[in-house]
Amino acid sequence: MAEKAKIVKGSGGFGGPLTIGVDGKRDKLMYVTGGHKPAIVDKICDITGATPVNGFETSVPEEEIMAAVIDCGGTLRCGIYPQKGIPTINIMATGKSGPLRQYITEDIYVSNVDVDQVSAAGTESESTSVKETQAEEKQPEQQATYSKDKKIMETRAEQENKSLLTKIGLAAGKVINTFYQASRDAVETMLHTVIPFMGFVALLIGIIQGSGIGDLFANVMSPLAGNIWGLMAIGFICSLPFLSPLLGPGGVIGQVLGTLIGVEIGKGNIPPNLALPALFAINTQNAADFIPVGLGLAEAETKTIEVGVPSVLYSRFLNGVPRVFVAWLASFGLYK
Amino acid sequence: MDYIVKFAEGFINLFQTGADTFIDWMTTIVPLVLMLLIAMNTIIQLIGEEKINLIAQKSAKNPFLRYLVLPFLGSFMLANPMVHSLGRFMPEKYKPSYFASAAQFAHTSNGIFPHINPAELFIYLGIAQGIQELGLPMTDLAVRYLLVGLVMNFIGGWVTDFTTSYIEKQQNVKLSKEVKVEG
Repeated sequence: MAEKAKIVKGSGGFGGPLTIGVDGKRDKLMYVTGGHKPAIVDKICDITGATPVNGFETSVPEEEIMAAVIDCGGTLRCGIYPQKGIPTINIMATGKSGPLRQYITEDIYVSNVDVDQVSAAGTESESTSVKETQAEEKQPEQQATYSKDKKIMETRAEQENKSLLTKIGLAAGKVINTFYQASRDAVETMLHTVIPFMGFVALLIGIIQGSGIGDLFANVMSPLAGNIWGLMAIGFICSLPFLSPLLGPGGVIGQVLGTLIGVEIGKGNIPPNLALPALFAINTQNAADFIPVGLGLAEAETKTIEVGVPSVLYSRFLNGVPRVFVAWLASFGLYK
Repeated sequence: MDYIVKFAEGFINLFQTGADTFIDWMTTIVPLVLMLLIAMNTIIQLIGEEKINLIAQKSAKNPFLRYLVLPFLGSFMLANPMVHSLGRFMPEKYKPSYFASAAQFAHTSNGIFPHINPAELFIYLGIAQGIQELGLPMTDLAVRYLLVGLVMNFIGGWVTDFTTSYIEKQQNVKLSKEVKVEG
């Protein structure tokens, strides 16, 4: 049974191939896919003899996880497990994206995986085991005034008796560097996260408006999103505890719904003041798929996650419709 | 033949409409969001993460601080998803409630502060671009979104305290109300 499974990327996927297998205590295959169990989980467990664990209901200590199976459309989860050094298999075709994209690398992450991409690899091949993170050892103290691996600025910064001018210079340098780094991060976020989504949404709008579907949508959306009862109905559906984790991933469904409603507002089919309750109605499922991961970030105990997942789903359900209603009350006088 | 040409024109028109929308956003929304992102990233770097950790430690006792002040400041300072890491300063019992509140602040503040959750910006922007189309200011919507969020996200976190107690009884477990921070 102690075979290893080889997983390659599906067409349009990213990363891999990964070779994973049970390694000592690491014998759990965790899947965090909003409740349902993808077929590849069974297949990988058949090959490797690992135990499947539903990460949505319970949690396992990180050091027992062999690999994680996720269905993230590109926001958070696809980076979180690679960040922890856990081999990650995404059943969606997401590549390097999201705020943690720098951790998504080919040696630890593979995406768009279906049953056909999983095969037995035999026992002898190298395994993509969990990386050990080690703090780098500190460099020995510098003796010379200037050293070849430090800029003059850095050397000056280490000196104990700084003159006033040096201090001002260092402070200014720090501020400017911070701005520059912030700018690099921001451009990176725009290029890899915001603009790709804009392209997708713009195409969607083009197809809706350029073809006859637009009128069809208007007929469906206007009565639904054009009055408070319809919006509350949308909010109610999105907050149903058995549905909300499935609507959550990547916020994609909320974003598409938002765009559709936005188009109708732009065309004048929906009054603009309803934009406010609509913002709440399309997002009552907010982060419902992300509960176990979010609680994991809060270093919650296994017990807490088991209680927390249904608890947050229920509270989302209780809050969903009232949120829409309060937002509607708050929308009086908007754009009048 | 005419029919084919008509069809081809209609086909290209689909993409032309999309392309016009896209370039319109590239010249209006993209530069604005980019400037905001740069400014916010800088402010966050200059203030530093330690300060917000300190606030988090002091917020555990009081529901008002726990579900309103801390998630609002935390989402501003640490953004999504790292705002959830502040939950480690909470007692186990309140971690689900903190999550419930913080996850919603990652959206309701996103209209004015897009750096919090740029990956899911279109929840807000999808609707707001309709407002922009009408020639109305988007900021009015963003401000009300934030204010309603402040109130309702707090209530959301607080309600979760009760659902957590209910599930505790159902599953017959008791979560600790004491803060336990390691490291």
